Amino acid sequence: MIRLEGVTKKYLGRPDAALKDINLLVPPGEFVYLTGPSGAGKTTLLRLLFGAELPTSGRVLVGGTDLGRLPPRKLPLLRRRLGVVFQDFRLLPQQSVFENVALSLHVAGVRDAALVRRVLEVLAQVKLLEQSDVPAGTLSGGEQQRVALARALAPSPGLILADEPTGNLDPDNALMIMRMLVGDYVGGATVLVATHDPTLLSLVKGAKVIHLSSGRLEERS
Amino acid sequence: MTSRVQSRGPVMRAFLRIKEDLWLQGVAVSTLTVALAIMGVYLALCFNLYQASSRLLSGPSLTLVLDNRIEPDEAAGLSAQLVRMPQIRGARFVGRDEALERFRGQLGPHANLLDDLRDNPLPNALELVLAPEHEATDELIALLGNQAGVIEVVTSRPWLHRLEAAITSAGDLALALGLLLFLGVILVVSNTVRLSVHVRREQLELMALVGASAGYMRRPFLVEAMLQGVAAALLASLLIWLLFAMLAAPASLPLGLNLEQVVSFPALLPLVLIILAIVAGLLGGFLGVGRTLRQRRLL
Repeated sequence: MIRLEGVTKKYLGRPDAALKDINLLVPPGEFVYLTGPSGAGKTTLLRLLFGAELPTSGRVLVGGTDLGRLPPRKLPLLRRRLGVVFQDFRLLPQQSVFENVALSLHVAGVRDAALVRRVLEVLAQVKLLEQSDVPAGTLSGGEQQRVALARALAPSPGLILADEPTGNLDPDNALMIMRMLVGDYVGGATVLVATHDPTLLSLVKGAKVIHLSSGRLEERS
Repeated sequence: MTSRVQSRGPVMRAFLRIKEDLWLQGVAVSTLTVALAIMGVYLALCFNLYQASSRLLSGPSLTLVLDNRIEPDEAAGLSAQLVRMPQIRGARFVGRDEALERFRGQLGPHANLLDDLRDNPLPNALELVLAPEHEATDELIALLGNQAGVIEVVTSRPWLHRLEAAITSAGDLALALGLLLFLGVILVVSNTVRLSVHVRREQLELMALVGASAGYMRRPFLVEAMLQGVAAALLASLLIWLLFAMLAAPASLPLGLNLEQVVSFPALLPLVLIILAIVAGLLGGFLGVGRTLRQRRLL
């Protein structure tokens, strides 16, 4: 569950707040689109949710944890319960597909057979089993995003945050990635997808759409 | 591949990083080598000077110049008589021939200067070591000077006293300077680690995003810093050994100076440098990684 209460975020040296008095509640298992033009505050909102930023005022709660009160040493524990997907994939290009996916399990202390089993499972899910030993940097954009998605899914997170996950992909790959962000693939996790592409909105039936404009929030469906 | 990945601990990850960027390793190890070599030279000089001063301070503090006509058994009798005095801890007879040999040894490669002497100019002597709680007072010197066969009493005690006082105050200064040098080494390691962290900042960002703890990210850097430290310590030891071998070589010294005692290579120096490098690696690595991660809001 995500809860934002009166969240405002200001950056030093910028006159306008990136986010202004945001109140939001996302129940567990819900799929939410976060839309808005570039600079509307979508990325800032996601960064607040995975603890890369702290709000200037207000409260951000993820899974019941108030991130403003979370000691820095406990932040990794929260992040292990999240899966984050970026537009630019953020892979380790020289390391294999397997190693990239294994990273999110390895940092959480998963080792040996359990690690191998889970990595192969998610690689099969995203249809990259054949490429498991290939360096991630040699794959196509769509394949790299599937590796990033597999890395996010591997620890079976309760919340998946995707920042423009299809921004660098062609329509076919974009469709494939969006299909992998719903249903059995994510195992009932809450999914928050930030996008400025309106064509994606019709891909997930019944999804909530939240629109951000100049740091203010409007809920549309 | 998969079996290799699953067992990657911090040591293996450190080795993989070292392999990834050998140029960076070269820069790090050479910088550390210079820092440790400076530290090592300082330590070796301190150690040698301490040894030399200890020898001086524990050596004879009074020398009785004897008449050349005195026989060795007479000198032995005098010696036995003197050590019974409470002020004298030990006495040793140094014959003229032994004194000349000793002088020849001190001249080292220039000993041939003595070859042209027709007669041995050095006298017989008795070297006396005073008991620790006693001084070479005027009364004692007068008493010794009145002994049969004694021509002159030579004392270096006042000079040694001044040396002892100087060593005591220099010791504190040397310790402070040593700590300052060590701090410098830690800062060098810390900056080297920060350079390494900077090169791998994207990897670290990614690790932080997927929930890596500070320890998980830090450990390979610490292992890497320690490995670099050990390599640099060995190289620095080799450099110091070569430097001291050159300085102590008789041919390279002017005026017949013999610096072998001052520039001898302490056998334990490599071990000391390795320990210092490991400690510096741990401290520097800890500071360097922590600072960079905090600056990048990863922790």
